Amino acid sequence: MSTPQAGDSAGVTPPRARVPALIVTHADLAQALVRAAERVVGSIEDVTLLSNEGLSRDDLEDAIEASVRDWKEGGLLLTDFWGGSCHTCGASAARRHGEVVIVTGINLPLLLDYLHNRDRLSASELAERLQQKGRDSIRVQRGVPA
Amino acid sequence: MSWALHRIDDRLIHGQVLVAWGARLDPARIWVVDDGVAASEWERVLFREAAPGIDVRVASVAEAAAAHAAEAEAPRAAFLLVRDLETARRLAEAGARVTEWNVGGLHYAPGKEKVNDYVYLDERDRESAKALLAAGARLIVQDVPASRPLPLGALDPALAP
Repeated sequence: MSTPQAGDSAGVTPPRARVPALIVTHADLAQALVRAAERVVGSIEDVTLLSNEGLSRDDLEDAIEASVRDWKEGGLLLTDFWGGSCHTCGASAARRHGEVVIVTGINLPLLLDYLHNRDRLSASELAERLQQKGRDSIRVQRGVPA
Repeated sequence: MSWALHRIDDRLIHGQVLVAWGARLDPARIWVVDDGVAASEWERVLFREAAPGIDVRVASVAEAAAAHAAEAEAPRAAFLLVRDLETARRLAEAGARVTEWNVGGLHYAPGKEKVNDYVYLDERDRESAKALLAAGARLIVQDVPASRPLPLGALDPALAP
């Protein structure tokens, strides 16, 4: 009988550092999303919020960089839509820092899924998962099912 | 068709341009005219990918001035974006004939005075604005199509006719 090695036995996951997130949006959407998420899961920590309100491209980029530069092992930048200043300035700022991954099109189901999985997945794995979760969360129901 | 919007906006491609003006004017091409962006391969790619379905062309002031007249004859609508009044003035001086500039966003920086919520100017900006106005261009302040267009001179006493 061999001695189990750390991390290789079924059901034991090696501890992983929490993936931090910065949410950058127009107006106060980031605050509103987090307030809504707190109604569902309770108080939320380790999520930073930023609005692009009144900021030039350079100032927004600097503000994003000020948040992500402290992330030792990467993190996620969640922004409202592709091609907006939150996204493109985020891409410029993230470029200078390790594993910072950007997910655009944040919605409430995506944010909740991030909160549920940020302690077990890497930034890159989370980003892939959130892309799918965000898409799958948009559904259409016509009328009432029979 | 071609030129549908010449815009001065320090955010270059962003939400107001893509969503608000884009929905109104349906551009096939967006020219990002900026020597700094044009000189950075990485930023060129960033802006090209920022507007799916739209042909984004990143050009230096000299390249854009040379291509400006031919683009004016091209089919469908095109936008041209510069980040500041100085670049607009340099583009005009390099030969681009622009009769109207949309002033869409010149955000606060130290030393700049507030003109309205999204336009802040310093003396250097005003010198460029005066040069553009003297050459016969109109400078119209309007962030999105739904807001009221106003001449820059009506908002900034230093630029009043």
